[in-house]
Amino acid sequence: MSIVLDRAAVRIAVDGRAEPKTLLEPVTLTLSERRIGVIGANGSGKSTLLRMLNGLIAPSSGMVTVSGSDTVRHVRAIRRRVGFVFTDPLSQLVMPTGREDVELSLRRSVRNAGERRALAEACLERFGLLALADQSVYELSGGERQLVALAAVLAVNPDILVLDEPSTLLDLRNRELLRRTLAGLDQQIILSTHDLDLALDLERVLVVDGGRIVFDGGAAAAVAHYRRLCAAEPAGARAAELDTGLGASLP
Amino acid sequence: MRGHGFLLANYVPGDSLVHRTPLWLKFLLVLACGMGSFLVADWAAAAAGLAVLCGVFLLSGAGVRRLFRAIRPILPVLAVIGVFQWWQLGGPAAARIVLNVLVCVVAAAILTATTQVQALLDGVAALARPYRRLGADPERFALTISIMLRSIPFIAGAYADVRDSARARGLDRNPRALVLPVFITTVAFARQTGEALAARGLGEADDGDDREG
Repeated sequence: MSIVLDRAAVRIAVDGRAEPKTLLEPVTLTLSERRIGVIGANGSGKSTLLRMLNGLIAPSSGMVTVSGSDTVRHVRAIRRRVGFVFTDPLSQLVMPTGREDVELSLRRSVRNAGERRALAEACLERFGLLALADQSVYELSGGERQLVALAAVLAVNPDILVLDEPSTLLDLRNRELLRRTLAGLDQQIILSTHDLDLALDLERVLVVDGGRIVFDGGAAAAVAHYRRLCAAEPAGARAAELDTGLGASLP
Repeated sequence: MRGHGFLLANYVPGDSLVHRTPLWLKFLLVLACGMGSFLVADWAAAAAGLAVLCGVFLLSGAGVRRLFRAIRPILPVLAVIGVFQWWQLGGPAAARIVLNVLVCVVAAAILTATTQVQALLDGVAALARPYRRLGADPERFALTISIMLRSIPFIAGAYADVRDSARARGLDRNPRALVLPVFITTVAFARQTGEALAARGLGEADDGDDREG
């Protein structure tokens, strides 16, 4: 299972500007490792890169393929194969309870209500969530919600799991829980994160800065590169640059 | 973000007679109550109907607290309507109108408290199936209803959060400080929900699997 980005770039039109704004410079990559991370500052282009993998964002130029299937032409098939977990599970969980949300994922593939219910329960049990199955998603802790969102995506057994900053809203305990859960999954995982400990668990890490991939390699080297990048250019300097318009090409 | 049990009670797991009642019968009950609110002209009959429905709700085992939570949010509105109608049409008419609205709310609460959303989706999809020949997609229709049910507590929660923020800044009497952030939050929520549905491949038409071109 591999994802290939062939000179894939994302640009958007902005009111009042003649030139489109570049969110992601042309990227050429093959993502075949089982555990891949994307790190970088806020607004660097991480989410844009990840959204292209599931067809949520179509590249403005170039193409993205998943095992040979174009993410634009075969978008529905891609979404069945590439599960996507968002940062905030509340924006992802569209049903009142975890059980119902997992059942919703299964509606298209399993028409029989009883069978769907049994599969949903098995899926929730796998993540130790069966006791919380009928609780309102609003009554769950952040970690529980994130696990329910994960269970709902994994219920349809995608080949690849893409997670956009899945631990950002979690406390340390829940981050550890999520980390252990992800480590036990069979799927290929591609995630963006600000949690450098989580990044260090991965086989390959990309560092994104200003819409460009500035480093691609082993986790330890990538994290070291990112630290150097942040030390060389403090957040305040970047903010000042954006305020003056010099960083206008940045997302 | 806080969640609120707003108007419609969430499903309460159980095996009561009301839970086991066929979905079509519960739908019929809600429909009958809606129609009845136009036809019932006597406040005493409306009160009797409300008492029966409250009894049915309690029979489901959902509890008094859940019943109160279902009707509490609408009480201020009913109070205003009641006073206005009292002034315009007199006491019996005002009582009849208020009681009829409560009948509809409690009937809807019985349906949602004793029916799982998935069963509701199946029911709504089945109801919409005859319209398939006109181009309607029953699954999408059912999904739209369920997202509407899910969005009500979110918006109520957004309002509570914004109200607290406005209060903390001493702006709680400024309607713009309340309405505008709730509106923006709601639009953002709608966009996020759309993106989440797209990412999961939900709400897409059954045919035309992929784009070609």
